[in-house]
Amino acid sequence: MKSLRQISMATAAWIAVLQGMLPMAGAASPFEDTVRPILEKNCCSCHGPEKQKSGYRLDVKSIALTGGEGHAPNIIPGNAAASPLMKFITGADKDLIMPPKGQPLSPAEIETVRAWIEDGAPWPDSASVPVNDPLDWWSLKPITKPAPPTLPLAAHPIDAFIQAKLAENGLAPSPEADARTLGRRLYFDLTGLPPSPEEIGAFAADSSPEAYARLVDRLLASPRYGERWSRHWLDVVHYGDTHGYDKDKIRPNAWPYRDYVIRALNADKPYARFVQEQIAGDILFPDSPDGIEALGFISAGPWDFIGHAEVPETKTDGKIARHLDRDDMVANAMGTFASQTVHCAQCHHHKFDPIPQEDYYSLQAVFSALDRTERKYYRDGAVHARYQNLLRQQKQDVEALAALDASLRTKAGGALAALESDDKTVSIPAHGYHSAMAATEGDVKWVQVDLGQPVRIGRVSLLPCHDDFNGIGAGFGFPLRFRIEASDDPEFLAGVQLLPQHHGLTFNADFKNPGLTRFDTDGGKEEAGITGRYVRVTAVKLAPRQGDFIFALAELQVFDRAGKNAAQGRPVMALDSIEAPPRWQKTNLTDGLAPADPAALQREREALLLAVADEATKAQRMALVASTASLAAELKSLPAPDSVYAGGIHQGTDAFKGTGASGGQPRPVFLLARGQVTHPGREVRAGALSALTFAPARFPLPPDAPEGARRAALAHWLTDPRNPLVWRSIVNRVWQYHFGHGLVATPGDFGRNGALPSHPALLDWLAAGFRDGGGSLKTLHRQIVTSATYRQAAMGNAAAEKIDSGNTLLWRQNRRKLEAEAVRDAVLAVSGKLDLTMGGPGWQDFVIERPEHSPHYQYGLADPGDPKAWRRSIYRCIVRSQTQPWMTSLDCADPSMRVDQRNESLSPLQALALLNNGFILTQAQHFAERVQQERPDLPGQVSRAHELAFGRPPDATALAPLVDFAKANGLPAMCRVLFNLNEFTFTD
Amino acid sequence: MAHESPFHQRQTPGQLTRREFLWQSGGGLGGLALAAMLGQDQVRAEDGPSPGQLHHPAKARRVVQFFMAGAASHLDLFDYKPELIKRHGQPSDFGEPVEAFQDGLGPWLRPLWDFKPYGQSGKMLSDIVAPLGAVVDDLAFVHNMVGKSGVHSAATLLQTTGFQLPGFPGAGCWAGYGLGSMNDNLPTFVVLPDHRGFASNGVKNWDAAFLPSQHSGTIIRPGAEVPIADLFPHPSGKFITPASEAAAQQLMAGMNRAHAATREGDQRLDARIRSYELAARMQLAAPEALDLKAEPDHVLKLYGLDRGPQAWPKEINPEEEAYHFSSKCLTARRLLERGVRFVQVWSGNDNSFPRRNWDSHEDVQRDHGPLAHGMACGIAAFIKDLKQRGLFDDTLILWTTEFGRMPSSQGGKGRDHNPYVFTNWLGGGGIKGGVTHGESDHWGYKPLERAHPTLVHDIHATLLHQLGLDHTRLTFRHNGVDRRLTDVHGHVIHPLLA
Repeated sequence: MKSLRQISMATAAWIAVLQGMLPMAGAASPFEDTVRPILEKNCCSCHGPEKQKSGYRLDVKSIALTGGEGHAPNIIPGNAAASPLMKFITGADKDLIMPPKGQPLSPAEIETVRAWIEDGAPWPDSASVPVNDPLDWWSLKPITKPAPPTLPLAAHPIDAFIQAKLAENGLAPSPEADARTLGRRLYFDLTGLPPSPEEIGAFAADSSPEAYARLVDRLLASPRYGERWSRHWLDVVHYGDTHGYDKDKIRPNAWPYRDYVIRALNADKPYARFVQEQIAGDILFPDSPDGIEALGFISAGPWDFIGHAEVPETKTDGKIARHLDRDDMVANAMGTFASQTVHCAQCHHHKFDPIPQEDYYSLQAVFSALDRTERKYYRDGAVHARYQNLLRQQKQDVEALAALDASLRTKAGGALAALESDDKTVSIPAHGYHSAMAATEGDVKWVQVDLGQPVRIGRVSLLPCHDDFNGIGAGFGFPLRFRIEASDDPEFLAGVQLLPQHHGLTFNADFKNPGLTRFDTDGGKEEAGITGRYVRVTAVKLAPRQGDFIFALAELQVFDRAGKNAAQGRPVMALDSIEAPPRWQKTNLTDGLAPADPAALQREREALLLAVADEATKAQRMALVASTASLAAELKSLPAPDSVYAGGIHQGTDAFKGTGASGGQPRPVFLLARGQVTHPGREVRAGALSALTFAPARFPLPPDAPEGARRAALAHWLTDPRNPLVWRSIVNRVWQYHFGHGLVATPGDFGRNGALPSHPALLDWLAAGFRDGGGSLKTLHRQIVTSATYRQAAMGNAAAEKIDSGNTLLWRQNRRKLEAEAVRDAVLAVSGKLDLTMGGPGWQDFVIERPEHSPHYQYGLADPGDPKAWRRSIYRCIVRSQTQPWMTSLDCADPSMRVDQRNESLSPLQALALLNNGFILTQAQHFAERVQQERPDLPGQVSRAHELAFGRPPDATALAPLVDFAKANGLPAMCRVLFNLNEFTFTD
Repeated sequence: MAHESPFHQRQTPGQLTRREFLWQSGGGLGGLALAAMLGQDQVRAEDGPSPGQLHHPAKARRVVQFFMAGAASHLDLFDYKPELIKRHGQPSDFGEPVEAFQDGLGPWLRPLWDFKPYGQSGKMLSDIVAPLGAVVDDLAFVHNMVGKSGVHSAATLLQTTGFQLPGFPGAGCWAGYGLGSMNDNLPTFVVLPDHRGFASNGVKNWDAAFLPSQHSGTIIRPGAEVPIADLFPHPSGKFITPASEAAAQQLMAGMNRAHAATREGDQRLDARIRSYELAARMQLAAPEALDLKAEPDHVLKLYGLDRGPQAWPKEINPEEEAYHFSSKCLTARRLLERGVRFVQVWSGNDNSFPRRNWDSHEDVQRDHGPLAHGMACGIAAFIKDLKQRGLFDDTLILWTTEFGRMPSSQGGKGRDHNPYVFTNWLGGGGIKGGVTHGESDHWGYKPLERAHPTLVHDIHATLLHQLGLDHTRLTFRHNGVDRRLTDVHGHVIHPLLA
């Protein structure tokens, strides 16, 4: 209960920022006579009606007595000595003196305040500034199910709501648009493509009353629908196919999430399930591939490669990177599904909405075990289910084995503890010796140790390195071919003796990378007589790294005949060396530190455990080991798994470890003072918004609940029928895409900084119907587009504009400027070159230069004539750091930020893009070729082109100039003109 | 919070006033220019204060920002530390635990070049930036800049956009958004990237993010085959001729007007017609603006461009750096002169190998040497040129980078990242010359007065202030927040102002 109380106190504190009224007049208490004047004079300019620094104010009783952010409560009635307020005003804390500027309080004033607190801080309610109830806000209230107004002419409930409002404002709806306009509108709206002349012609000619509804059904059933509407969704979740930031690498497996969204929309997946899968699909629907692919939602946004892969989370910069990473996950989840701006509560309580800082960090705790990572699964549902089942069995076996070993471990005692405590982890900071980079693998590199005096050599051992650079890991830099020699001459010019035993293996053939297994010369007879002061390893075929070649070793050991390592701590020389301590330097080669061979460690461990086991336990253990092995074999027999880039437990090494090593345990999340990772406060539990009271704000989970339980709890919280935000959010988004603006004009912000609903009753009617009707988006679309409101003409009306210039009340339909994708897809559709292949990795209209480090995405080098880029825009490979310039000029969504609503601009750069880009010019020629094939003469060709582009044949006044132009300048130039006309970019 | 700012706008196109519409849709050429072209040069009184109206009188009309990608060393260029020379080679001791990006905490490393005093101010400059000595009395140095992160991407974004994560507009976007354009045939905000490629975050450093897209920086690559994307038809459009182009413009205008005539009350249709006319003007104006050959010999000589491009060695070298950087500086001057409001000039590209930026982990001399030489030659010529044309006084110059470098060595010859202190300098545009505001400590490790560092937000606030804008009032609501270039921070640095 304590935490619930804390939450309500925190909720109270944010009230601070809401404007109150002036204090009541008339002093009637000691507080009003003596204390309040002191507070008003000294404190209230920063902690009063104008400003509320730290969310604190001293004119509102509840806040004064409970608030104060990190120091709350600032006033402890009856205990002045313990009250932070006293500390601040007396200057006891040098870093925090109040007021910070100007005159300090006089001793008499301080005494007055002290006495008042000691006296129990009596504060009559009448002497407190009243504040608005923060929870009294439309979006936080339960969804009602209002009946539509009864209007005789409005058969459709949506029209009843809309027309009632119009009438109230002295407005009338516009007439229905003509059939061609309506058909074209519907095609673009539902599928993002223009109708063919035949399709629009047939629709216009069909006078049956069901014609329109049939068209709606047909378009909603088309796979093109999912392609169109998934783009809206991907705007909101800021999906991209690269990481962004520095080293903006491709995410080769992001696309399964994009395909999942398309599939889910086409299949009309119930919205609740759609939401649940994206937050916790792996937990709630583990046997379905959708449950894994949907988690691409969590990873959709940008990721700071360097901040994660090169900086560990033990460092401040690493902490910041991971904090910002979770921030993106939280903002994405709550912005997308709940239209809340929780990210504003990162540094302080939300300034406008009832979201205390603790809510924000509770949401971070939901995602705190996760990173953006590759997740294995099978796109084939049956194989996936089998795979999941095997994993579950494997997990059971592993747990049983662990339980068994736990009992043996106590018996095994010291030896095992020593083995396990030995800090031989793979990621020792001192990696080893690293040669300079070579351009070819044939460059020769050497490194040698000076043993101080001639040593009769027993054996020489080479211990490989581990470095995750370029994903190499174990065996990093271990040469493909090398020889080992001894000599008393440091230059190795005289008296050079080859250690011949494995020479054939390592010099005459490529040596298989040993991973972390040591290479020993084994001290056989052949080497028995070899003596030398210097031992040199010469690599003659280097290890590939990343477009270059290197030679690296963790440790060089030279054992004398007595088995002592004579090289330990001895000086090292090399042809060249990268000196980048502590990771790489010559002296690392003889420092005694090398990553242990995990397989060898495991063997030793098993032996120690079995030595103390009784027969029954041994048998039990053997059975479990056998079962694990057979499961492993069965898993191995499955085809290679597919992979999706998604939110998940990352099993990493070096700087980017993730939480895999701890079994996916959530990282502790602390309330950060001012959002600074260097100022952690108390640890917070996973939870959601405390302003909604239908469920506890902190999830009722046991402390040791697995991380997935947190996400499952959030998924259920979001999709609870009593959640007032989620259902309103989605119906408003859908409405926005049909009309150009939502019933709430700020689809991502249902808070006090957002807009108020223009039609609150309609919004609730839609939300309730959607929720209670199974969350079918297609039903919602059908409902909206069959309304007369949707079918209105988009023409202006001077009288109506005077009353409602923005058309908020929908006295007409809005003329729509096509989005970048729709323009591009329409160009391809009319040129006849649109390739409707669905799904798979994104097509690329750039050439990647320097992929090994920071890829350069060169759009200018791509061939606009390459048909692989003629697929729909939804399948484009979306780069963050170098956004597609042509699409960007057409206001394409920026994949680095969540886009609830696209900007709409008109600029000369946009005009130039549509006039001159290779894509347009190439397609203009294809367009011309197409109509030349389809019509025999120039007027026919021009007319056909016009009809393809605009869904109607040209009238006589338009045809003649177009034909004249085509005659003079060629048909491709005419086709280019059509692409550039306003009628191509706007739909009525 | 009240939204009295004349720049505060909601994002809902359906609900814009005519004035707001013009402002948001006005194209790269700016709301006022477009308003004028539409015959709306007088904004109606009931629309309230006009966008583009200043908060206070401006000292600067335009800005050029020089950005050193990869993090330029304050210690080897501008921030003289005799203590490092004295202690060179001794084990470094910071007196506190230090987190360095690559743990580069080797012995103290003296500046790679000697320092000498310049000008009346006697400001100590490194030999490698000696050309700047001639203009040093016009510059104001800030040696106590602090960053928030030692990660390139986050640090670059912080300096360019005021935020550490992508999705926020660059400073030039804000300037264009607040002030509009001063020309009607060139973009308002131009970016001259390093000729080798983009720095960390690519276009995210200058794109408009949530501001209307026409406020994005327009990339211009002086000397490249295609200096501005799509300015002229792609080579695949061989069917286009000058005659067909003129005819096409005429045909489109006619058809678009006929289309608009039956669709009254939709200003977007007219605006789009105008945008094609403006595009045609840009096609004429841009090549002229970028034609460096039009400069007289003495100017080319001032910039060291009188000998033209040559065959350069493969290794990074001072002559080539000076040539490329000076070309960008001269291009910047021509653009500013023609009414471009904000030019961002980059030195160095991403963090790849071999190094072609300032991220000298391995060898300061090798990378900083040529880059600093080129930068100093170019900027010194640029400042002299502005002065001789009377443009210096109302052009604000800002030299910045991601963060500084450590006073300790890394691998003997390099320096690790130092986000704890670094240098910016400013000049022109009402900035006091020959002064230093804010010192670093005697190592150049952290600010001398740790409690009073200078933040990028202060620099941004000062920049907007000089342009006549109050950084707290230049806002745009996005995702529930009235966003500012300066986030919730920033104080104008008054001691820097003349």
